[in-house]
Amino acid sequence: MKTKNNILQDPYLYIFIIFLVYPFLPYIGKYRSVGTELLIWSIFALSFNLVLGYSGLPSFGHGAFFGVGTYAVALTLLHLTSKDVTISLILAAFFGGLFTFFYGFIIKKKRGIYFSLLTVAFSQILYVIGFRWDEVTGGETGITGLQRGGFLGIQINNPITYYYFVFVLFVITLLVIRKISNSPVGKVLLALKQDEKRAQYLGFNTERQVWFIFTISGIFAGLAGGLHGLLHLSAFSDTLHWTKSGDVVMATLLGGGLANFYGPIVGAIIFISAREILSSFWDNWLLLYGLAFVVIILFIPTGLLGIVERIREKKHFEQFNNNRNNIGSKNTQEIT
Amino acid sequence: MNTTLCLALLFNGIVLGLIWSVIAIGFSLVLGVGQTINFAHGLLFTFGAYFFFSISRNTSFWIAVIAAPILVAIMSLFLEVVLVRRVYGQDPLFGLLITFGFAIAMEEVIRMVWGKAAYSVSTPIFARGQLILGNFVYSRFRILLALFALTILLLVLWFMSKTSFGAIVKAGMFNSEMISALGHNLPLLRTLVFVMGGLLAGLAGVIGAPLWSIKSGMGTDVLMPGFIIALIGGLGSIKGTIIGGLLVGITTSLAVLVIPRFTDIIPYVMLIAVLFYKPKGLYGEVTILGEVRE
Repeated sequence: MKTKNNILQDPYLYIFIIFLVYPFLPYIGKYRSVGTELLIWSIFALSFNLVLGYSGLPSFGHGAFFGVGTYAVALTLLHLTSKDVTISLILAAFFGGLFTFFYGFIIKKKRGIYFSLLTVAFSQILYVIGFRWDEVTGGETGITGLQRGGFLGIQINNPITYYYFVFVLFVITLLVIRKISNSPVGKVLLALKQDEKRAQYLGFNTERQVWFIFTISGIFAGLAGGLHGLLHLSAFSDTLHWTKSGDVVMATLLGGGLANFYGPIVGAIIFISAREILSSFWDNWLLLYGLAFVVIILFIPTGLLGIVERIREKKHFEQFNNNRNNIGSKNTQEIT
Repeated sequence: MNTTLCLALLFNGIVLGLIWSVIAIGFSLVLGVGQTINFAHGLLFTFGAYFFFSISRNTSFWIAVIAAPILVAIMSLFLEVVLVRRVYGQDPLFGLLITFGFAIAMEEVIRMVWGKAAYSVSTPIFARGQLILGNFVYSRFRILLALFALTILLLVLWFMSKTSFGAIVKAGMFNSEMISALGHNLPLLRTLVFVMGGLLAGLAGVIGAPLWSIKSGMGTDVLMPGFIIALIGGLGSIKGTIIGGLLVGITTSLAVLVIPRFTDIIPYVMLIAVLFYKPKGLYGEVTILGEVRE
């Protein structure tokens, strides 16, 4: 009985079902590319939250690793193989991981403000390369006109098959990241977030854990970037710009990545939908985007799921209190 | 021919470095005393340039020189009191994001008010003409602007090393909690320093307006060199920031000779190189920015 309840209470199930039936929903189901975008941003936000929410490392340059994935896909499709995207996607994840691996080596010792500023600086280096290296990256005009082809022989050319292709990868990502955050490594990272010195005194090599989680995060960010490139069949350098890194931070914070594992997904869904809707009819939508940051930081720093969590805790607490008051003398022994 | 080119680039580098230093000092003061990454610093710079442009067109050049930075300082006072004050002492990402969000929103306001087109400020009559040294020709206005920037930098240097308020600010960059333990009003100090940073950003905007085209994104372009120089020079050291600014400015400018297309990358590479070997920056003595372990 208890296990059955747990399965029903697992948000994972609902996320799975919603995304599974999304293309067949009335009114919104026909916007398949938006649905795909939501899945891709969910992957990206989940990977980012390993760094921000789990380890408490204030990265502000994650857009760069997303962009690296996009360019990896675009360049392999242009120069290596245009029929099959398997290698491209593997390379996207690989390069996302490779860049974070090297960068993690430099940054693993830094914390706090230095960490933020150095991640910004690094993403700018990649941006300048992407923006100026015309021969390879197409410079300002970027790379356009790619072909999606197939994945291991399965055709993913039409929007709905591509949607389900991304959906499968999303589910895998979700499972892997959940596995990692529930693993001993994830626990050490939580300890690091609370008090790094204490975690070190307990004998954990926190620098190596930071390096590790940064690399894992980069792998999935690269994958998300690759999928994004395949969705729009193009790659542009402005995805690498540091101001673009605000998008994923916004998605993660808005949903409540600091408080809940599923926060980034909720945030990505709300943020991307709002962006798609607002930007289609309002030129100055960035005004709201900027103000949203201010409102989130001032009023709901733990995000939407943070509020839910707080209400739930309050309920638990009240229930606990009620139980304590209601318990008669005969049950006291059972409790103690 | 080659020497004159090099000389011109060197001069450009010095001008660039001086302006960047003015921006970097403001950023560095807020970073040190407020322990906040002020990503709206570039926005304040942009507002300085726009105010200067609008006021000088409608009234006179000199009124604009004085009024624009003051207006920006008032704006930064508003920004500090309403928003930034609430995130002191919290996760550094919060300060970064709240100023970043404010900057994005206000940049959009600039586009709504002044439009998307870029503006330029014409050279005032007294500053027209060229400086001619044999083969070498250089704009007199640029030199005057550089001297203006240098004057500001020297004034800040004097202010920080000779006045008692400057001493408190410097001490605040080393250990801001100790400041309040010694009986000084830390919140007031932080507000004053933030306004001072805003004033410097506004002054930098006045200097930058005639040099670059005035557009809403100009602040984002100078914010990056600004914080890089603040970190390269080292927090708590005005001298370090000025030297760092000149170093980065001149290197970036001269890099045109070697890697013409990738000059923008120079400041970042220098930052990573400096922080790798000297985590506190060239002249920095402060390690309050999180734990910097060597």
